[in-house]
Amino acid sequence: MRGPDVSWYLIVSAILFSIGAAGVLLRRSPLIVLLSLEIMLNSANLALISFARLHGNHDGQIFALAVMAVAASEVVVGLGLIVAIARKHLDLDVDRLRVLRG
Amino acid sequence: MADVLVWAIWILAAAGCLGSGLAVITFTNPFFSALALIANLGSLAVLFLLASAEFLAAAQVLVYAGAVMVMFLFVIAYLGDRREAPLAGGPSWISLAALVAAAALLVEIVVVIGLKAGDALADEASVDASFGSPGEIGRLFLTDHLLAFEITSIVLLIAAVGGVVLGTRSEAEDEEELARARA
Amino acid sequence: MTAGAWLCLLAPLCGALLITALGESISRRTAAWISTLSVFAAFAGALIAFVDMLGRGHEEREAVTTAWTWLAAGEFHAGLSLLVDPLSVTMMLIVSGVGGLIVLYSIGYMDGDPEERRYFAYMSLFVFSMLMLVEAGNFLLLLVGWGLVGLASYLLIGFWHERPSAVAAAKKAFVMNAFGDAAMALAFFVLIWQTGTLDFAAAFEGAGGLSQTFVDLVALGLLAGAVAKSAQIPLHTWLPDAMEGPTPVSALIHAATMVTAGVYLIVRAHPIFELAPSIADLAAGLGAITLLVAGVIALVQTDIKRVIAYSTMSQIGYMFLGAGLGAYGNGMFHLMTHAFFKALLFMAAGLVIHHLANEQDIRRMGGLRQAMPRTYIAFLIGSLALVGIPPLSGFFSKDSILASALASGGYGRLLFAAGLAGALLTGLYTFRLLFIVFLGEPSALVREHDHGSAHGEGPWTMTVPVAVLTVLAVVGGWVQVAGIWHPFGEWLDPIAVGREHLALVEPTVTQDYVTSVLAVGLGAVGIAVAWMIYGSRKWSVPRVPSVQRTLEHKLWFDELYDAVFYNPGERISGLLRRGVEEPLIGGSIEGVTLGAREAAGALGEAQTGYLRTYALAIAAAVAVLVVVFITVQ
Repeated sequence: MRGPDVSWYLIVSAILFSIGAAGVLLRRSPLIVLLSLEIMLNSANLALISFARLHGNHDGQIFALAVMAVAASEVVVGLGLIVAIARKHLDLDVDRLRVLRG
Repeated sequence: MADVLVWAIWILAAAGCLGSGLAVITFTNPFFSALALIANLGSLAVLFLLASAEFLAAAQVLVYAGAVMVMFLFVIAYLGDRREAPLAGGPSWISLAALVAAAALLVEIVVVIGLKAGDALADEASVDASFGSPGEIGRLFLTDHLLAFEITSIVLLIAAVGGVVLGTRSEAEDEEELARARA
Repeated sequence: MTAGAWLCLLAPLCGALLITALGESISRRTAAWISTLSVFAAFAGALIAFVDMLGRGHEEREAVTTAWTWLAAGEFHAGLSLLVDPLSVTMMLIVSGVGGLIVLYSIGYMDGDPEERRYFAYMSLFVFSMLMLVEAGNFLLLLVGWGLVGLASYLLIGFWHERPSAVAAAKKAFVMNAFGDAAMALAFFVLIWQTGTLDFAAAFEGAGGLSQTFVDLVALGLLAGAVAKSAQIPLHTWLPDAMEGPTPVSALIHAATMVTAGVYLIVRAHPIFELAPSIADLAAGLGAITLLVAGVIALVQTDIKRVIAYSTMSQIGYMFLGAGLGAYGNGMFHLMTHAFFKALLFMAAGLVIHHLANEQDIRRMGGLRQAMPRTYIAFLIGSLALVGIPPLSGFFSKDSILASALASGGYGRLLFAAGLAGALLTGLYTFRLLFIVFLGEPSALVREHDHGSAHGEGPWTMTVPVAVLTVLAVVGGWVQVAGIWHPFGEWLDPIAVGREHLALVEPTVTQDYVTSVLAVGLGAVGIAVAWMIYGSRKWSVPRVPSVQRTLEHKLWFDELYDAVFYNPGERISGLLRRGVEEPLIGGSIEGVTLGAREAAGALGEAQTGYLRTYALAIAAAVAVLVVVFITVQ
């Protein structure tokens, strides 16, 4: 393979994953949280594809395609929820939505 | 020479990836965050290409950047201007704890992969030109991974139905919206 | 023989179970008759066994029949076994015979009581328990019967449970008996430990090889149980209080049968007592002390039943005296005659109480002779038999004991003197009672209840048993005349272990006659004194207030026991409750609940409702888990 070898890809994937995690934990707007989730999923995809290249096996790529499909579905549902919340004129603030308080 | 080129493209793509990622989580305006994510997806597509996953790179751009992100932008446009300060509100120790947790995760991932697969990462398999081509992917989807294919399609169907259900408005809500718009 | 024994044992049990099972679906009268017939069936069984035994020779008069092995632990076995020998058949006849008459009497006495069924079930239960006690083939079954009679006594003393005094009396009886039971159980433990068995024959054999200390311990434990059950000093205070129960109960349990169980135990376990002469002497001494103390206290009692109760205590003292000295046959003989005339006295008293609508205070009675002539005769005969006037039954039995005492050496002569003094006292208190109740002018109360002779002196169910017992009180002693004719003693001889004759002492003919003259003479003196004071009222009772008060307080025994046992016990339990139970036990339970509640509250803090805290928790958990998985690898 020309260019960097697999370990570099994996490092990028790891950093991207932690960036996404930080975003989920730090931001208050559900939209941004959803976007950060997308980053995490994409980092996983990158890792899968790197390993597929490493082993010469297509399984990783198939898996990555499935992940992409699932991510799309999840975005649909998530955005649907956000729109519903906005329609009820509630604040789009994760800290304010505290109905689950024990 | 070609090697240097590959390295340069790789570094650019990686930098774009990480930079846009940081941008996503730090911008206040969700619209700009979404645009940053599109840039992220594009950089990732380049990285996919470099890793011999051509079909996936195409799918990434077409599906993710093309469809999913467009939907995102639609919704953000619908919701209007909602800016927020990234770290304001909530218990302050959460922010610190979040950063610590994220850092911990990063360190752990690197350590684990290093421990588990350290040496093996150097031996790459040699692949022919058709590796990652649409033909190959298609053939596999319809033979070895048929089940995954079918289940994925069902998941998409359910998501579509879910989206419709979440989106419908009852008569009462419609009246309420109209009243509010007039007022 | 054994079939009769089984019938005798099981018939009353079936009666009790039947009454309990049928409950309110049968009338009260039916329940009463079920109970009565079951006890008479038991008597039939005892008769069968008796007749069968008479037809055999001396060697064949013993049989052990085992139903099944009840307890088997290692090398120790105890079976559900009955022993049928002359002693047990004698007791069976007395218990079921006199018991049957008394249960029949109860039909009339308890008529109208709303809880009659319960009463008769308890009576059947009692007869069953007493029969189990006397028919037991090993000490374990005897202990079962022992405990059950204590239970039946408790249930029957406290029968009228709305009366607090009755409930208290029942508890008192039970607790004091429990003390004796515990001592007996300890004796049995020693027996098992040392000889490995509780079967009578094997245990007696084994006891022969034990050290003196162990034999003394066993005998002492048995004696303690006997003393408690037979209400001898010092465990006697429960018997007067037990008069709270219905009069037939007093007649059956506290005169004829249960209180004689102690004497039966000593006679049955006589080999052990012969190996522990000091304890046997103690038994005789306690009997002597009791007969004097009880006689003295009886002089000032004003409740008709309590006088008779103290009389019972005194007479059992005689039996203990005889059994302790080794005159087992004479002791049993007195047990039998005493059952007759004491039950007679109680039942006659019951007729009086019934006639006077439950009045028991003799100070309000007087001159009942006109209103109840037949009861008067019954009471008179019973009293004469009690004092030991010939030719009534008590004369033969009591005098035989006294003669044996005279023939037993120096200690025996001391006891003989005590017995003679007791005879004087017996005459005195018995006829005091008779004269106060029956002679003189009819008191106001008596005149009130004078229904004329239209109603008779009671229903036939009450008068017939009294009549039967009157006859028995007269002729019951004619089975043994000292020096001339000894069928009763010979009948009991086979139970002697290792000897030909059961009795340890055989008084000479001279001693017999001297004793009789002295005893009868002193009894007559007592009667005469009673006549002078209470009959013709020529003398007056000497007034010594301190003595009077002591006697009325029953020699301060109750107060002594209160001070020594009850009050300290109450204080200790109060201390324990305040110091141990409430803070430690109650507190620890409270502590557990409080702790649980606080922990739950603390854990509840984790439900903040912030999405981000939950997400942080997930991320942190993942981080920690990864570390754990790496290190475990």
